[in-house]
Amino acid sequence: MKKFLLVLLVLCVGFQGSLMAQEKTVTGKVTGGDDGLGIPRVNVTIKGTSRGVPTDIDGNYTIQASSSDVLSFSFIGYISQEVAVGNQTSINITLQPDVTSLEEVVVVGYGSQEKKEITSSVVSLDTKDFNIGNINSASGLLQGKVAGLSVYQKGGDPNSGPVIRLRGLSTVGSNVEPLVVIDGVIGASLSNVDPNDIATFDVLKDGSAAAIYGSRGSAGVIIVTTKQGSRGASGLSAEYNGYVAAASVANFQPVMTPSEYIAAGGNDLGAETDWQEEITRTAITQVHNLSVSGSSENTTFRLSTNFRNVEGVLRKSGFDQINARASLDHYALNDKLNIKFNMAMTNREQEFSFNEAFRYAALYNPTAPVRFDNGEYFQAILFDNFNPVAIIEQNQNVGKSRNLNFSVQASYELFDGMNVTASYAQQLNNSTAGQFYPSTSFFRGLNRAGLANRRTDESKFTLFEAYGTYAKKYDNMNMSITGGYSFQEEQFTGFGLEAGNFPTNSIGLNVLSLSADRVNGAQLVNVFSYESPENRIIAFFGRANFTIDEGIFLNASIRREGSTKLGADNQWGTFPALGAGVDILKYADLGGFNTLKFRAGYGVTGSLPGPSGLAQDLYNYSFDGSVTLTRAGNPDLKWEEKSEINVGVDFALMDNKLSGTVDVYTRDINDFILERQVDPAVFGASRRFENAGKLNTKGAELSLNYTGIGSGDFTWTPGLVLSSYSTTLEEFVIDEQTIAELGAPGQNGTNVIRIKVGEQIGQIWGPVYTGVSDTGSPIFADLNGDGQLITDQGNALADNGDFQELGQGVPSLELGWTNAMTYKNWDLNLFFRGAFGHSLVNTFRAFYEPIDPGAINSYNRTKTDLQVPSLEVAQFSSLYVEKADFLRLDNVTLGYNFDMSNNANFKNIRVYFNAQNVFTITNYTGIDPEPSLQDRGAVDNGGSPGNPNVLAPGIDRRYNYFTARTFTFGVNVGF
Amino acid sequence: MFVSLFLVGACTNLEEELKDTFTEDFDPINPGLGQSENVNKATPADGLGGAFQRLRNGSANHGNYFSVVEISSDEAVITQKGGDWFDGGIWLDMHRHVWQSTHPALNGMWNDNYGGISECNRLIQENTVGAEGIAQLRTLRALYYWRLMDAFGRIKLVTVPGVDAPQATRVQAFEFIESELLAAIPNLIDGRPAYGRVSKGGAYSLLARLYLNAEVYTGTPRWQDAIDAADAVINSGFYSLSDSYAAVFAPDNVENVEHIWVIPYDEATATGMNFAQMTLHYPSQLTYRLQQQPWNGYSTLEEFYNSYENGDARKANNFIVGPQTDLDGNPILDLAFDPADADGAAINYTPAINELAPSGSRQAGARLGKYSFKVGQLPEMDNDYTLFRYGQVLLIKAEAIARLNGNWSDPGTLALVNQLRSRAGVAAFSSMTEDQFLAERGREMFQESIRRTDLIRFNKWGIAWWEKPASAAFRTIFPIPNDQIQAAAGTLTQNAGY
Repeated sequence: MKKFLLVLLVLCVGFQGSLMAQEKTVTGKVTGGDDGLGIPRVNVTIKGTSRGVPTDIDGNYTIQASSSDVLSFSFIGYISQEVAVGNQTSINITLQPDVTSLEEVVVVGYGSQEKKEITSSVVSLDTKDFNIGNINSASGLLQGKVAGLSVYQKGGDPNSGPVIRLRGLSTVGSNVEPLVVIDGVIGASLSNVDPNDIATFDVLKDGSAAAIYGSRGSAGVIIVTTKQGSRGASGLSAEYNGYVAAASVANFQPVMTPSEYIAAGGNDLGAETDWQEEITRTAITQVHNLSVSGSSENTTFRLSTNFRNVEGVLRKSGFDQINARASLDHYALNDKLNIKFNMAMTNREQEFSFNEAFRYAALYNPTAPVRFDNGEYFQAILFDNFNPVAIIEQNQNVGKSRNLNFSVQASYELFDGMNVTASYAQQLNNSTAGQFYPSTSFFRGLNRAGLANRRTDESKFTLFEAYGTYAKKYDNMNMSITGGYSFQEEQFTGFGLEAGNFPTNSIGLNVLSLSADRVNGAQLVNVFSYESPENRIIAFFGRANFTIDEGIFLNASIRREGSTKLGADNQWGTFPALGAGVDILKYADLGGFNTLKFRAGYGVTGSLPGPSGLAQDLYNYSFDGSVTLTRAGNPDLKWEEKSEINVGVDFALMDNKLSGTVDVYTRDINDFILERQVDPAVFGASRRFENAGKLNTKGAELSLNYTGIGSGDFTWTPGLVLSSYSTTLEEFVIDEQTIAELGAPGQNGTNVIRIKVGEQIGQIWGPVYTGVSDTGSPIFADLNGDGQLITDQGNALADNGDFQELGQGVPSLELGWTNAMTYKNWDLNLFFRGAFGHSLVNTFRAFYEPIDPGAINSYNRTKTDLQVPSLEVAQFSSLYVEKADFLRLDNVTLGYNFDMSNNANFKNIRVYFNAQNVFTITNYTGIDPEPSLQDRGAVDNGGSPGNPNVLAPGIDRRYNYFTARTFTFGVNVGF
Repeated sequence: MFVSLFLVGACTNLEEELKDTFTEDFDPINPGLGQSENVNKATPADGLGGAFQRLRNGSANHGNYFSVVEISSDEAVITQKGGDWFDGGIWLDMHRHVWQSTHPALNGMWNDNYGGISECNRLIQENTVGAEGIAQLRTLRALYYWRLMDAFGRIKLVTVPGVDAPQATRVQAFEFIESELLAAIPNLIDGRPAYGRVSKGGAYSLLARLYLNAEVYTGTPRWQDAIDAADAVINSGFYSLSDSYAAVFAPDNVENVEHIWVIPYDEATATGMNFAQMTLHYPSQLTYRLQQQPWNGYSTLEEFYNSYENGDARKANNFIVGPQTDLDGNPILDLAFDPADADGAAINYTPAINELAPSGSRQAGARLGKYSFKVGQLPEMDNDYTLFRYGQVLLIKAEAIARLNGNWSDPGTLALVNQLRSRAGVAAFSSMTEDQFLAERGREMFQESIRRTDLIRFNKWGIAWWEKPASAAFRTIFPIPNDQIQAAAGTLTQNAGY
């Protein structure tokens, strides 16, 4: 608290002082030592101050300086130079390219560092590294580009985001995705930043880098910097980016054709319908981005607008979105004061359609017509089987979402080297959603005289932070110290209503107001109203960086953080980090190496549970007038802590042609928070949240780049990222159990994943298939050789049970392989992505491949090369667990840059053609071999997916959206 | 800057204030259940609701207490219908008496009953419901403990919230339940209970059931005590046989004269009864215009169905058999019919079932219809579930007399049994064997979650029946659920044989 007031005080006092010196105008031109051309946007600063100007498009600059000043010229990719002004008024400079390119600035928590000073595992990407094509989410730009960052989107649903994991599991609770920081606003949502507006990503992978963010950094941190106007760039510039994309289904579920179906005993209804074709389409997407940026001497700004009209391959799925972003950056008081504003607005209107249609399309009788002759949909009452075209066309599933983000930040240089910064941000979201099922919909609504629901949610996130940084250079050492305070508060509230019994099907959702339920005693009306507490995270933090002798780098940070979600006596946690690095070449001459840096870091981060109120007993009112205890509070609930050690090497060889990074790490997740069975006799309820166990993840990552290939106008730059990890359950309150039920029909209670203390996470568990009996039942292996075959679920873990591990749900190796080629004005990028060593439970096959004599009449069957024709009984076994290694040509881009050097109107024009998901090499028979890193449970007959369980990877569920193959034509124009 | 100053007060405040839920118990200001035009009446706002409503959990839905005690007996079965209802073999195991301690339904019924006990303990500790309220809670807690003792034998007898108790022997549990009931009875109402609550009649009924099975639980028979407890109900004058057997279980069975202690269910306000969903075939949705599709799970064993003679009103009420039609009388079809099914697609529930697994016919088996269905109903039902009713008490007394006198044709026994046969429209017995009595008890008490206890008492639990081999003696008690042993951290040990 005191520290916080002090910061405010110095901020106010600090406005007073500023000294003027005798100055003159210095002009000049900065050219490159490689081509002799002027370099635009070089930072020309007066050494020891933050005053500076950039060079213009031709490399010219003008700056006010006194004779005693030293001018510093720096630009990314070039070796910086310093020149004393003396009596000169014209200073022309030639900057030599810095082939090591290690001078890049990396954004880290509450500041930035030069890349060479970094002692943790951090990867920085800018626009030239991003994925190109029909990409509608920011995380899509990163897929496959960062070793250890897994971005997996099962299918191509435009309305759902991918699963993101940094270095595998960081918790079993809710905080499994990396913390996102957008322009300094921590906890921001990636969904509110348009991919077109992103300038750079900095991915903090290990604990020592993330510890400054405390609790929310456990799963890693992705720092997003949006594009900004550049200071001193004369006048205005505008840019247009746009593309049109066409997506079609890449893979259909393999099912029987009508003739195969009839031959297998199917009921011939006389038509031939390809249901999967009927529910899908070639989806057209168009995206337009228009931005203007500019500056005056002390102010820069950028305005950007993005239009997205996105269609999914499932009919009626997609969204319309407009996003606008504005940023303004102003310097005052002789550049000592800097004020930044950022605002963004997103309005998204979505049609979700119904993903259930995929499953029913694979299952529906292929000889049934879509409609009867009288025009009505063909429908019949069958368990868990509905006309998929009718589902999509009859029912309505829509939503709207509005996001508003605002942030302001002010920094002030109190005195040389001492800066204080305060920032405030808010993120607001309003969303509404609704579903309508008419009385004619067999799917839902039948016998209910129609059914509809609407809900509205709003959330607010508030952030206030204040910190000060002091930097000082000594003879042999640079030092930087940061200290600050952070206050985060999030809150949501919502309301929803569901009712039925309508007089008409004609006015969609709004027929809710005519619900006869209202006057029938309202006993069938569902009403929801909810509001979260003010979930707060409050922290004090500090960091110190030392660079000794330009060759030894030390970083240390500490964060003391408290949360409302934990037990009253355990709300505060302390999260320290330490890192050290050494530039070996500074101290030893190793022939052949151009760069060799070792670094090691250790950091502790925390993790919080998703729900509120876990430390308190909760009571529930039931409509029969009773009140009961529904969840036992855990007043001792404390921080889940992750401690991580990371050791890495950055190197460059062969005249900097080959460069790369190797990292190895081990992380322990202690006291992980999980809801679990407790003794109901003692606690009164059978479940509560506890600090229940410990996980360990070990992994290694490698990235390599080679620039030496090519001759003449042709260059080829290949890059490779590889990563591997495995996670072990070290401690848990239950020694061994099976989880992840397969589901209906017929396979409830059939758990397919085992978790066991001391063993790896992700074991697919079941009996081993050996053949088929005369009666069409599967025959399993007597694995323990005891002469009896015990394969019922009750004995899944028993000594005499015949079960074993059938595969691993988590890949053992993930690969991304980029190839950037240029020839004159042409460029070609080929990006391959792969994952190896993982298996998937193919649930479509597990339920629908056996030719059940009771089902074949009306249900179509899955048909793959692995089908056993005489098998009639669907029962889970090794038969349905498939290796899902794959290598995919994920992205191909061919671009052409028109030569605009003599054009007064255009700065650049580029056109490109892109293809995504071009081909996949795999033996997996399902639609998509992408790993499934979490499980949202079985869904059947009208249910909806549950909360993701990260302890159950490896299940390819039946509700996954189909994958799409997309072709995009795009253009970038700079004015 | 201004904003930051505004925030100073909240600078380190981490108090969590929940806004949409309750962190302590309270007395609702409205009367609760079914106050509008619902067929059900309201349970009283007496502060006991929290403890009694826990009875709804698992008593009439799939997957917990009801499923365990019914599917392990010879009166109900869930066949594997090809790809449907295999469910990891857990219900086949239950039928064949080869269940394991990992069976999820065993864990579920343990949790449900201890959840009820915890509510009783909490309310007893709060001590705000008066002597009569406390007596009801102790009686209710005795019922939860009876269920656990009857199923698992060795259980923890916890009576104070948050205070653990050692695992008791079955004899200790029996003695505890007996002493609790005897202590509670003087303070209970002498008359019919308030709706959904318990009075002396319910406590004596439970006591009678406890004594009837005393030999199983403790090795020592208590026949005379069983007769005395039953007489306390019969002679009270507050209960009698309903003229109509069907009316005792129908959707509008509120406060039937035969009811002694019921679990009140309501389709909207007191949910948890799903019999229609559990037993009916999918297209039977059209017969009753059900709002959701049923699941085609439960049916009755053919032998049990055939134990009823034609003309027995209970046969007509308890089962749904034969060709099925929609409300307009049109046949309803199962388009996924088994090719071997002679009837083809038209739904016809046949009492005979071809096999338990793997290819049980989808249309086979008489369906469970005792708690009859309401046209247009939700997946939830309105019928109240009968824990104790007058007819059952008659059977307890009849059996205790026969066993005390060593004569199944004892005139006292025959007179009681014939009251029930007469109501069912079948001829009176002039003499009876032990097996005939058990069959009669089965016909009367079908679907009332007591068949397992009866078969154990009659030494029929271990014998072979349809698709079930003879089973070992230790199977008369279920294993302590594996999850509970793990959660109890050493304070629970497994039963012998498991």
